[in-house]
Amino acid sequence: MAAGAQSVSAIAETDHLREIPAGKMAVWIFLASEILVFGGLITGFVLYQFAHGGFAADAAHVKWRFGAFNTLVLVTSSMTMIMALASARADDRRRVRTYLFLTILLGCLFLGVKGFEYRGEFREGFYPSSGMFWSFYFGMTGLHAMHMMGGIVINLMLLIAATRNVSSEFLQRRIEYGGLYWHFVDVVWIFLFPLLYLT
Amino acid sequence: MNETIDVRRESSLYMLIWAWLVFLLIAGLVIFVLPVPRTAAVILIFSLAAIKAVLVLRNYMHLKHEHLLIYLLVLTPALLFLGMAITLIPDIVYRHHLGLGG
Repeated sequence: MAAGAQSVSAIAETDHLREIPAGKMAVWIFLASEILVFGGLITGFVLYQFAHGGFAADAAHVKWRFGAFNTLVLVTSSMTMIMALASARADDRRRVRTYLFLTILLGCLFLGVKGFEYRGEFREGFYPSSGMFWSFYFGMTGLHAMHMMGGIVINLMLLIAATRNVSSEFLQRRIEYGGLYWHFVDVVWIFLFPLLYLT
Repeated sequence: MNETIDVRRESSLYMLIWAWLVFLLIAGLVIFVLPVPRTAAVILIFSLAAIKAVLVLRNYMHLKHEHLLIYLLVLTPALLFLGMAITLIPDIVYRHHLGLGG
């Protein structure tokens, strides 16, 4: 019996799956499904380009300076998000709130710039129905913007949690999971920017 | 005390990673602006994007400390798309580039 209990314990110790918290595992599974969503669009775009010789004429109308500025905004927001986690680990609530607020602000700035960019494109007569490039462009950047909105809502919830009397461990975990999502949205943009604006 | 030093060290690493991300973004833009041959520019720009993604994944998303299972979770869908692209390329060449197959 004792030997049996010992072997069960040994299995539990060597079962690495148990080392990954359920919440973190759930976020990573969700992110893997998100790779399927964006991966499908990106692969479709690249293959369509390969088949039909590129979109140089249409792509010349997108303003790469806006895209570059937004990339800078997004990588900076990733930095403020991870600094919020580092501050949570140090149990410095004031800094957690500051960094989360900055992340939200940068996220809103990104969406503001994207909205301004869309306005210019609509004024020039480019809509999702204006051709294959514009369908992909509005589809991919629009889907990404919706993910940004979701990330902003998550960060707002984290900011509210940081102002309340929640445990340090609770806050750390939630910021870590929210951060994984935010950084993923950043990684998606890191590929969308050269794909749509630079090539 | 040690925890404070660890957090400080961690924060400096995050700032350093951010500086690299900005540097790589600028490097990509320089390649785009300069008269670099298109194929070379595309390869270079996407290589820089891949480095940026790896920096974020490993440092900000802490993949470098994660279990192999998490790597597999991320790599499986990415490899599926690579496989899909490789599978479809011969058909595109056959139909669109060689003009065969009707």
